[in-house]
Amino acid sequence: MADFDAIVVGSGMSGGMSAKELTERGLKVLVLERGPEIIPERDYVDELAPWETPNFDSVPQDEIEKHYPKQYGGVAYAIKESNKDFWVKDDEHPYEEAEGTSYDWLRGYHTAGRSIMWSRQTYRLSDYDFEANKNDGIGVDWPIRYDDIKPWYEKVETFAGIAGSAEGLPQLPDSVFQPAFELTDAEKELKSKVETNFPGRNVIPARIAHITEVTDEQRSLGRTNCQARNRCHFGCTFKAYFSSLNATLPAAERTGNLTMVHNAIVQSVEYDAAANRVTGVRVVDAETNEKKLYTAKVIFLNASAIASAMILLQSKSETFPNGLANGSDQVGRNLMDHVSGAGAAGFMSGFDSMKVFGRRPSGGIYIPRYANITENDKPFIRGFGFQGGASPVGNSGGQIPGIGRAYKEAHKQPGPWRVSIGAFGEQLPDPDNRVTLHASKRDRWGNPLALFNVRYGDNEYKMLEEAGKDAVAMLEAAGCSNITSTPISLTKPGNRIHEMGSARMGRDPATSVLNGRAQAHEVPNLFITDGSFMTSAACQNPSLTYLAFSARAADYAVGLMNEGVI
Amino acid sequence: MLKRREVLQGLIVSMGGAAALTACSGVATVVATPHGQPGRFYTAQEMLFLSRFSDLIIPRTETPGAVDVNVSGYMDALMTDWANDETRASHRGAMTRIQNELNSRVGGSFADAGEDQAVQELTALDASVFDGSMELEGYRTVKGYISRSYFATEGGAVEELKWVAVPGRWDPSVDISDTL
Repeated sequence: MADFDAIVVGSGMSGGMSAKELTERGLKVLVLERGPEIIPERDYVDELAPWETPNFDSVPQDEIEKHYPKQYGGVAYAIKESNKDFWVKDDEHPYEEAEGTSYDWLRGYHTAGRSIMWSRQTYRLSDYDFEANKNDGIGVDWPIRYDDIKPWYEKVETFAGIAGSAEGLPQLPDSVFQPAFELTDAEKELKSKVETNFPGRNVIPARIAHITEVTDEQRSLGRTNCQARNRCHFGCTFKAYFSSLNATLPAAERTGNLTMVHNAIVQSVEYDAAANRVTGVRVVDAETNEKKLYTAKVIFLNASAIASAMILLQSKSETFPNGLANGSDQVGRNLMDHVSGAGAAGFMSGFDSMKVFGRRPSGGIYIPRYANITENDKPFIRGFGFQGGASPVGNSGGQIPGIGRAYKEAHKQPGPWRVSIGAFGEQLPDPDNRVTLHASKRDRWGNPLALFNVRYGDNEYKMLEEAGKDAVAMLEAAGCSNITSTPISLTKPGNRIHEMGSARMGRDPATSVLNGRAQAHEVPNLFITDGSFMTSAACQNPSLTYLAFSARAADYAVGLMNEGVI
Repeated sequence: MLKRREVLQGLIVSMGGAAALTACSGVATVVATPHGQPGRFYTAQEMLFLSRFSDLIIPRTETPGAVDVNVSGYMDALMTDWANDETRASHRGAMTRIQNELNSRVGGSFADAGEDQAVQELTALDASVFDGSMELEGYRTVKGYISRSYFATEGGAVEELKWVAVPGRWDPSVDISDTL
């Protein structure tokens, strides 16, 4: 008799949704989280005022060098003294990089994982994305199409709360929206100029997972409208942005079917060869080193694209000598991220008498992909979207001339309006880009360290070169002055924190790990619905797609259980 | 702008009692340094200079000035608790260069200079640094520390900048023509 109906490994973005959907269908579910518990009332620090966080809320410089060189180097904008515990210490959670490569593995080990610290940009994929590999002859074909996942997008969006505007763009299907955060006047000017001068390009409000018109269901979970504080990286007392801790885990908990265990690091998944079923997971307690076995009828891996792949690789058996469900040898391969490092900034005149009220969370504008959609003259395949915004710069940094009353007063002026846009490009799947288990190095719990070997290819370099030129051209068309565009410098793989593809979906068990239901081809009661399943990366921020596939897979798994198949 | 004696009076008042920007429990506390005493990082002389320098840059008006909110204490904590050795050395060097330059300009101790002369010389120095006619390494950085420290205090943020903890709404288009 299994301990639970289902085990969900990981409580982050996709794990929370898996847990919610499974528990709401009546399953007794164990969620295993490798980090400690976060209790919002105790651990969120979003209500601290500037004067309650000394030293500009900056992490001491020596501490950064000792504990956070990778994390801080990757996301300095998000790691502050008051919320640093949301991020791992690099010296306590090391990893290795193949010679000549560099990888940013940016993480948080605690309840809800990175869903607490994400930047909340939320976009659907379209059939341009689901058909891309097939059309380009790259990687393998997605085993599903947009219409298969569309109802699940709608379901999770309605639950989560997505602020955005209906635009009717085929490459970026509209979500179920709550009201968007309105564009600033300068952004409207940019939109007008770009859309006039570059037909087929659009400037739209960023789509973000923030409640702006709270529903009864959201209210029942203690959530309410965004208060425009832009304190999201510190948690949200109003639970206005979507995270596992703000939304899915409370929904799972209220079913009475959820058991959650923290500090439980999964070391392997147990496999019964005779039955061809996974039967449980072996964990080590992060604090006590106590080892334990939990059993269940179905297992969802939601540990992140890297950790889930590593768990599979660590789960060796006679049947699967190269790792569980890895007969295709695709586990850990095709590791993708999005690539940035091209953009432009400039100043817009005519808005000196305008300022804003409130602090808009996350991005302001989004320029959906147009390359190889409405413009087909590109020296690369796939495309990129731009994220950015236009707002008054203000003067709080002290970098203006003068002293005395006039200097003091100048800080209350909005300052010039600055616009900036940065590209998020699609990285192609490449089986040589992979994470493997280090042959000899172990962490303090005895688990092999991750070894990354990821490089960008020619397509990513060509794409970003063109994105940089396009960014300047659009700002010029908008009448910007003092346009700056640094030389193209691609972000490190991993830096966008969108790890994907390490257990890809596909139609053929010989070349892919999962089928279109995110079910392992080779093990019917094993599902993986974190970024691992992504067959291609698209250029849209991927979390919404993880949520939709998690909900769809949970529904399918419960159906199979009810039918007695698994 | 305050007279020098008022500045010193403000120093004494601000540091005699309240003198502490107490953060919420569990978070670090910034304790001001008594007038005439060294800080944890700054010497007594540096503290005196920084108080005078910062007060000229951000004086008390209808709202608190740099001395009132204890910018020098904030920066003393910043250099002690946040900065590494390299930053500390760089900052001390910048402070020394600024002080030497201003002492030279007033022909003695800048901290003891009269109000009019101090304002005149600092105004001229600031202008020449910002228009590029003079190089004074670290000046803009120190001025940045002073400004950021001031606006990170409750007095600077709430009373001067009208910072609101919970805006509650987003308005992307606020016309302030009438206030300009």
